Amino acid sequence: MKWKEVLTRLLKNKLSLFGLIIILFFVLVAVFAPYLAPPRSPEDAYEIPRAGWQVEPQPPREGYPFGTAQGSYDIFYGMVWGTRTAFRIGVIVVGFSSLLGITIGTLSAYYGGKIDEFFMRITDVFMSIPFLVAAMVLTTILGKGLDNVMIALVTFGWMGTARLMRSQVLEIKNEEFIQASIALGASDPRIIFKHIIANCIFPVLIQAFMRMGSMVITASALSFLGVGAPEGYADWGQMITFARDWILGGQGSALKYWYTVVIPGAAIMLFSLSWNLIGDAFRDILDPKLN
Amino acid sequence: MRKESYELVNYIIRRFLILPFILFGVTVLVFSMIMMLGPYQRLSTYINDPAQLKGQDMDKLISKYGLDDPWYEQYGRWIGGVVKGDFGWSESAGQPVTTAIFSRFPATLELALFAVIPVVMGGIWLGVLSAVHHNQKFDHIIRIISTIGWSFPTFVFGLLVLMIFYGVLGWFPPGRLGADAAAIVRSTEFIRYTGLNVLDGILNLEFNVVFDAFRHLIGPIVTLSIVWWSYILRITRSSMLETLRKDYIRTARAKGVAEKFVINKHARRNALIPVVTVAGPMVLGLLGGVVIVESVFGYRGIGQYAAQAAQQLDYSGILGVAMYFSFLLILINLIVDVSYAVIDPRIRLE
Amino acid sequence: MSFLNKENKEALVEVKNLKTYFYTEEGVVKAVDGVDYEIYPGETLGIVGESGCGKSVTSLSIMRLVESPPGRIEAGEINFKGTDLTKLSEKEMRKIRGNDISMIFQEPMTSLNPVYTVGDQIVEAIMLHKGVKRKEARRQAIEMLQKVGIPLPEQRVDEYPHQLSGGMRQRVMIAMALSCDPQLLIADEPTTALDVTIQAQILELMNSLKESYGMAIMMITHDLGVIAEVSDRVAVMYAGKVVEYTDVDTLFDDPKHPYTWGLMNSIPKLDKDVDRLEAIPGSVPSPLNFPEGCKFNTRCPLAEGKCYDVEPPLEDTDGGHMVRCWRYEHLEEIKKRGERIYEDRGVQK
Repeated sequence: MKWKEVLTRLLKNKLSLFGLIIILFFVLVAVFAPYLAPPRSPEDAYEIPRAGWQVEPQPPREGYPFGTAQGSYDIFYGMVWGTRTAFRIGVIVVGFSSLLGITIGTLSAYYGGKIDEFFMRITDVFMSIPFLVAAMVLTTILGKGLDNVMIALVTFGWMGTARLMRSQVLEIKNEEFIQASIALGASDPRIIFKHIIANCIFPVLIQAFMRMGSMVITASALSFLGVGAPEGYADWGQMITFARDWILGGQGSALKYWYTVVIPGAAIMLFSLSWNLIGDAFRDILDPKLN
Repeated sequence: MRKESYELVNYIIRRFLILPFILFGVTVLVFSMIMMLGPYQRLSTYINDPAQLKGQDMDKLISKYGLDDPWYEQYGRWIGGVVKGDFGWSESAGQPVTTAIFSRFPATLELALFAVIPVVMGGIWLGVLSAVHHNQKFDHIIRIISTIGWSFPTFVFGLLVLMIFYGVLGWFPPGRLGADAAAIVRSTEFIRYTGLNVLDGILNLEFNVVFDAFRHLIGPIVTLSIVWWSYILRITRSSMLETLRKDYIRTARAKGVAEKFVINKHARRNALIPVVTVAGPMVLGLLGGVVIVESVFGYRGIGQYAAQAAQQLDYSGILGVAMYFSFLLILINLIVDVSYAVIDPRIRLE
Repeated sequence: MSFLNKENKEALVEVKNLKTYFYTEEGVVKAVDGVDYEIYPGETLGIVGESGCGKSVTSLSIMRLVESPPGRIEAGEINFKGTDLTKLSEKEMRKIRGNDISMIFQEPMTSLNPVYTVGDQIVEAIMLHKGVKRKEARRQAIEMLQKVGIPLPEQRVDEYPHQLSGGMRQRVMIAMALSCDPQLLIADEPTTALDVTIQAQILELMNSLKESYGMAIMMITHDLGVIAEVSDRVAVMYAGKVVEYTDVDTLFDDPKHPYTWGLMNSIPKLDKDVDRLEAIPGSVPSPLNFPEGCKFNTRCPLAEGKCYDVEPPLEDTDGGHMVRCWRYEHLEEIKKRGERIYEDRGVQK
């Protein structure tokens, strides 16, 4: 499967093109954050500046294109720097949990037998606690904050990748061993290893793309519940935390505070959607070829 | 015929035997997380009533409850409590954890039951239809809707529903029951058969209650199910597409079987096999989604309790919920595995 | 074209100028491009050719099982006992499938539905076409399993496909296909996926059933050995067309088309002593890119002039031996001289 061909087809597919453009947009926002929303100082970059001391959220206006959330936090600023936070969360969580999952899955399938049983039971046990609840347990124990959220997500987020990798390796394992041992005589474990990874990596990659979106959603849900990023931190989920009270408690139309929900919410959704679209397209491209 | 059922029963028994090991594993996992806490924090998971703690200093407490004992002794003690249904005292609820959980169980059950229906029926039915009308307009529309649904953060969706359907329209209020209906339910004439408002309302012939309960349920149900409905739809669709390409479908057509039966009899059952496989992860996700949905809609169930406990650092509370949900999940996974074997005869030999 | 029709029978199936095209993203694939043949009652017509020559598509066209889109029966007639199958409605076609005309396929491992018992699948066909009740259908299914040589049929009937071997599954397929007494059985590479010994058994089974049922068989294969074993008459196909058409003995004794000649001489024979085998160079041209003139001209050592411009018609060379070639007479002369036409391609004895 040539990469160039995959890339061309990804670009041709309207949906994945849409996804790629959005991701690109987010990347640009993240990269140019210091210019789009200049921070007061480098250390405080992730602290959202406040427009005053008003508790009630204020709609978009001069100087504050997205309005302010409860406590007068500048939503625009939060959105821009929140993009960096989102990527940070996605890359770290998906990166580490995938590494963990790939390692466990490969070892499990490669060695088989008791080792396989052992790892699979452990996987079963970890999968027995609902993901969100498990993450909440860890954040309760370790303490609140995004770093602990990321630890929690990695601790309970590797199982899917492990299982997938294991089933892929199992499929390849028999072929490779037979081929290699017959054709080469002495089978070089390094060659076999490279071969295994090369053949198994695509479904895992696809899964990783999907997880970029789902991990950011979960992290923002945890922030929303008050267990993640602290108040005033540039994180999309955190900015929605207090929106609920205003929707229910505010006088008059609930739509008055739409910007506190819709803007950060749209960002989270688009972020996830674009990764899903790319992952979907990737899967479609690889699938008919494989059949 | 008899041979068939023998294999099936055999399979079920084998699955049952693995259960204790997984349960054990879960308790170990949870316990190791408990051990990450300091001794005073751990206390809440052991005692049933804070009054017992009054007037005792740390060292006395540590020796009394064996908080410095070797870990296996502590585990033994803790497990002893768990088996009796004792998960300790919940600070955030002001009750023993078990009481807190079980008093909220019917609410969450009602929500989950109602949510599963659109997810399973709608998701599968539309998934099949979408695959049959592959690449036509209907298919494209369904695909787009389900991709968006799958990407939608539950809490954002819930807030939007609240905003529009309650804030603006006033149709679907938060909470479980409105004031009037709640009064009826609390009255002595109303008999609590199940704890499920809709069902109890019907059984008591109090249709106001039924209507009111339903009104409060729609928002949470829609929010909870949208993600999983999309997921099931996508899986069903792709599985169906793959199944329709199989050789035995061609054989069925070559026999002269009508297309309707080719799809519903020959293809669907095979296509559903991978779908049943994801039923487990789906329930897992539903249990997590319940936490968010109940929080957003102020729905007094186990999920809301869990969120509260986590926020207020109620260790025993959140751990109790985690244990409880795991047991539930393990049980449901077992049921799923068994259904899998019923549908696909090849599995029974494993 | 009713040669060899010694008893002057009416053809069971008459395919006239059949054209089945596939409209794909890359262009039009003319899988079957003007094909004519007949199948007479009680005889076996062999269709032989390489992969991609269109032999499977012709049979799928008869059954109207061509995937549509992207495929379509563009032109031609398929006369089955006087009715043109291309003109029938889907509903009418379904009455014929599995009933008057049955088909079995190449992969017995995947051609049966894994979640239903073998018996259920045969019963389905019986109940569909014969209108009997389940109990009777089951009895007939067990009878069929016996006829195809499956031991302990009363037990096997309740087993699932994965519990049977490849050879057994193919027997089940045959049982299913014959359960409603079809007049024509189309067999698309039925033995290709099986072991050699099982192959022989299955072919023998098919022959004996043909006798007892008095049905016709259309045997599609790339294997000349199978053709020799079961066929009465043979049609050789290449690039969507019939290039040679005669009875089986004549085909093997006196192949007149260079392609057939190449096929014959690329397999070793016990009664001929050759130093080297001939092999046809090159491969079948892409269906999106067929050459002008005779489709075989890219590989034919005798091609010249006209072969590159005009497609030869199917000609009757003598007494019903049809050939589609401008140069078949030239080939005759070469044969008389005992020469070879293909270069050796390193296949040594």
